[in-house]
Amino acid sequence: MLQYPQKISLCGFGGQGIILTAVMLGTAAVTKGGLYAVQTQSYGSEARGGQCQAELIIDKSPINSPVAEKKNLLVAMFQTAYEKYITTLSPDGVLVIDPQLVTDLSVPVEHTFAIPATQIAVDLGNRMAANMVVLGFLSECLGILQENDLIDVVKTQVNPRFVELNIKAVQAGIAYAKEHDLYYHG
Amino acid sequence: MSIIRANQLDAWEKCVDTGVHFMLGNYALVEGAISAGCNFFAGYPITPANEISERMSQRLPQVGGKFVQGEDELCSVFALAGASLAGAKVMTATASAGFNYMQEGLGYCYTIEAPIVIADVMRTRGDNFATYADVYQLRYGCSGDYEAIVVCPASVQELYDYTIWAFNLAEKYRNPVIVMSEATIALMRERLEIPTAEKIELFNRKYTTAAPADYLPFGAPENGCPDFAPLGKGYKTIYSLNPHNEKGGIDWDPDEFERLYKRVCGKIRENEDDICRTESFMMDDAEYAIVTYGSETRPSIEAAQMARESGIKVGVLKLCNIWPVPEKAIREVAGNVTKIFAVEMNMGRYVNEITRVAGGKCPVVSVTKNRGQIHTSAEIFRAIREETK
Repeated sequence: MLQYPQKISLCGFGGQGIILTAVMLGTAAVTKGGLYAVQTQSYGSEARGGQCQAELIIDKSPINSPVAEKKNLLVAMFQTAYEKYITTLSPDGVLVIDPQLVTDLSVPVEHTFAIPATQIAVDLGNRMAANMVVLGFLSECLGILQENDLIDVVKTQVNPRFVELNIKAVQAGIAYAKEHDLYYHG
Repeated sequence: MSIIRANQLDAWEKCVDTGVHFMLGNYALVEGAISAGCNFFAGYPITPANEISERMSQRLPQVGGKFVQGEDELCSVFALAGASLAGAKVMTATASAGFNYMQEGLGYCYTIEAPIVIADVMRTRGDNFATYADVYQLRYGCSGDYEAIVVCPASVQELYDYTIWAFNLAEKYRNPVIVMSEATIALMRERLEIPTAEKIELFNRKYTTAAPADYLPFGAPENGCPDFAPLGKGYKTIYSLNPHNEKGGIDWDPDEFERLYKRVCGKIRENEDDICRTESFMMDDAEYAIVTYGSETRPSIEAAQMARESGIKVGVLKLCNIWPVPEKAIREVAGNVTKIFAVEMNMGRYVNEITRVAGGKCPVVSVTKNRGQIHTSAEIFRAIREETK
């Protein structure tokens, strides 16, 4: 069983859809999973390219403090973001990386999951869907949501032109977790 | 431009977005306003309040309301005054620096007793915006004699709930009401449950039954507020910032304006029991109390739990509104604990009110932070541990 609260941080660079991933995971947890969630973010003033981080706390009961000093789960989608935020991961936490974009793991973390989200998205025809691969992967990895619930959320939050691509990307992320048996029970 | 009163909107129930949402704080505030029957918004852009204007510009046309982007803050607040006097339920949103510019129009609304709601998403400058540095500005920013009502939500749910409360207070007391928000909760997404329309209690201002010839626009019982007649319906009224008598005529007679200001202040001061709300957490056996407001309540509750785990009996008194000061609740706490911690996201402001009301019954320690971020629970706990050794 997953322990609560789960304190999750996703980081990368502006334009990757980091915040949207956290918003959609939170939306699914609250509106489909009957859970409580708080999502905050920080980002540079640049529209694209600056560092970007989203925090998501998920719990079974209402959440008091909206900021967590240490996270259970850190998703790093870019090298410089990894370097900036790795200190916020608690020592027994889990690190999720895109191995193409985070290549130098200067701080080794015992539980590290590598998911080639960007390559999977490129194979699906659009690298911009990497965040949805991560969304599917996280959802399966945490085991708190049903696939159809997640897809319902994608349908309501994504531009209709990209719904099909995004659903494929979410499914590919789920499949990757299953194939490689990457489950998180912390 | 035709103004529609909320109670005239046929499809009002349909406007209420009933259900469970994962919503941005600024959006939740807008939904609270829509649920309260808000049908006029005028505002000027400013971070971190922009999502309020953005969503209002989408939602108001759906409910038959009007959205106006003013050329500045002053224009916006005066537009509220006009729309309110025509019978609309009105709101604007701004942030600290923008609130500065609104003082003249806000002062006008206090004096002419126009119900308006202002959301101040307080901010500092720099990388992070969060602060409660302006708590005194919300009370004393305008010139003249008046009383402010300021409600302080601590969550996305309360941004919704308290905005409805703000509209109800504005209508009931014919007074401006400020919803004090800040960057953390405004830009945070959280679970929000919007009830069905029939469960939402609304208070609409009392309309006059007098004929235009007999109507006294500022005639009211002691500590009460006058019945309302909308502009454009044959009730010719001067709404002046100057001292005015019951008929609305500008009147320099000291007796007249003393009577006016006594009532304008008295209608709030003498109804504090009806206006003020507080919530207590773990106070039953508390030896120490945190007294706080707004989003700082959240880490404060966690800090009290941490303190209890290490054997220090701490409780939390949350002030749901800071103006008027919930004096009874603070005084009661001061009589029951050995020390009060005033936790604030500024350099120590409202601690002055808490100290005043505590009246020497117990010492009050100021726990401050002004770094653009709310306190962490560990920071508050450390301050408590230091002071309870």
